[in-house]
Amino acid sequence: MYRYIINRLILIIPVIIGVSFLIFAILDQAPGDVVHVITGGGATQQEVEALRAELGLDRPLLVRYVDYMKGLLKGDLGKSYISGRSVFEVYTERLPATIKLAFASIFVSILLSIPLGIYAAVHSGKIGDNISMVAALLGLSMPNFWLGLILIITFSLQLKIFPSGGNEGLISLVLPAITIGTGLTATLTRITRSSMLDVIRQDYLRTARAKGVNERKVINKHALKNALIPIITIIGTQFGNVMGGAVLTETVFAWPGVGRLIIDSIHARDIPMVTGSIILKTITISIVLLVVDLLYAAVDPRIKAQYSKGGS
Amino acid sequence: MSTANSVKPKEQKKYSASKRYQKRSQGAEIWRRLKKNKGAMVGLGIVAMLAFIALFADIIIDFETDVIGQNISQRMQLPSRDHLLGTDEVGRDVFFRLLYGTRFSLSVGIVAVIIALVIGVVFGAIAGYFGGAIEEIIMRATDIFASVPHILMGIVIVAALGASTLNLMIAVGISSVPQFIRITRAAVLTVRHAEYVEASRAIGLREASIIFVHIIPNCLSPIIVQTTLRVASAIISASALSFLGLGVPQPSPEWGSMLSSGRQFIRTNSLLTFFPGLAIMITVLALNLLGDGLRDALDPKLRR
Repeated sequence: MYRYIINRLILIIPVIIGVSFLIFAILDQAPGDVVHVITGGGATQQEVEALRAELGLDRPLLVRYVDYMKGLLKGDLGKSYISGRSVFEVYTERLPATIKLAFASIFVSILLSIPLGIYAAVHSGKIGDNISMVAALLGLSMPNFWLGLILIITFSLQLKIFPSGGNEGLISLVLPAITIGTGLTATLTRITRSSMLDVIRQDYLRTARAKGVNERKVINKHALKNALIPIITIIGTQFGNVMGGAVLTETVFAWPGVGRLIIDSIHARDIPMVTGSIILKTITISIVLLVVDLLYAAVDPRIKAQYSKGGS
Repeated sequence: MSTANSVKPKEQKKYSASKRYQKRSQGAEIWRRLKKNKGAMVGLGIVAMLAFIALFADIIIDFETDVIGQNISQRMQLPSRDHLLGTDEVGRDVFFRLLYGTRFSLSVGIVAVIIALVIGVVFGAIAGYFGGAIEEIIMRATDIFASVPHILMGIVIVAALGASTLNLMIAVGISSVPQFIRITRAAVLTVRHAEYVEASRAIGLREASIIFVHIIPNCLSPIIVQTTLRVASAIISASALSFLGLGVPQPSPEWGSMLSSGRQFIRTNSLLTFFPGLAIMITVLALNLLGDGLRDALDPKLRR
């Protein structure tokens, strides 16, 4: 088991190297010079050159990348071009807001989708199933930034129930959590339904019913438990993604999380900030996915046995 | 599932009658299954209509006067008989702009997916067919690429290339490549050792023609389904990038950038935010319905 965890953690390293090089190389092509952003365009040629040298921008891409990786090995993600603060520090400052949002939206999504998915599977082919599947598809087809704006128009501008942005107390969490939660709910409902359908037709459920176990218990205990693996996978991936910062929703709601940090840094051409944030985001997602894999073992003894054997 | 089950006995009866040996072409069979799916047909209808609007937009609407021509005296009007969906902050008719925007949004979605499709199918097929070190390299690179969420990848690429319609297509396309690589590889793996592949190898065909003439045509089902569903998500991604100010520049009537400029007037005229999003949603919903239907029609085993 521990060997499995260590192996998985080691596998994150090439991903980080790859991602950082990819982002580094792509952003190097970016037009618009950070020096112009910093100086506001009012600097002489000499001052511009001096600032470029100071930021190390006069050296070739590979040299800068190797330097960057050396820093990364020591846990140093560099400093923001704009504020001069450590990238890691700024990122961790923004992280709590994002974690809060991630938990809230996953909560909304689980609360809605698992009962809905089970209901749809149990009543497969009937009208209730069709309605919930159309609803799920509708949720899946909605651009979430638009949904966010519609919620703002309805609930904060017209009904004045919830604030339209910012992070002040639990009440400001409601609209962004519903916005992200809706998209997640759509996917999760579909997965729950199809996973339940797979299980529901199996023999051991018929056996359970034949033994006289009541229907509610058959569904909620016998069936759901065996349908959980794909459901957990999706929850995990979604959680990882939101933890990395829901870029659009955070922008719409002026939510001070890492997603908006990345967007703001992109607009400011603050390349160390963008690269560093994306690396940290990738690490976050990888770790969440690892935790999800470990959760499988908790849910399914067959998988636990596999991990302990040292298999992948 | 239950509808499929209930239909089965009837089918069998039909086959056992005189038509028993009459073979239907595969295309006709898929079409027959697709036709039974109401959702898919609604989706297909909407997609066909949108494609028609996109193709003939400039016959119905004059780009210079109706789409980008400003008319300050008519600004911010509510929906009326003259302006079906009202007008925007400089007096442009929202309905006309949305209709014309079909052209932008659909073409961005389609071109982006074609880019992803070509790159993804080639690399996916190579990985699946050759296996070994080549596969390992391609798949690890794909994993790395895919570990950056694709909206973020799109943002980074557009930031690097600069905001324009073409760059938007490239960015959305490239960020959807991993899905195509994975799905093509998986499909190729299932037929790699099929007898007809062995046979083509035995008669000495070149590897390239084995892959492209014999393997890929047999892997088309998942690729077609993925393409339809990807056009849907590409349209959302593209409008998201435009919304963030990284896509189609003003005054082009791309839905995402219309939404973005409508957002400034969210307090005074929320309809400017509402309609473009609705257009995106209807388009994406139609493509999703069609994609789901195609998946069921192409592979009845997968039917859920």
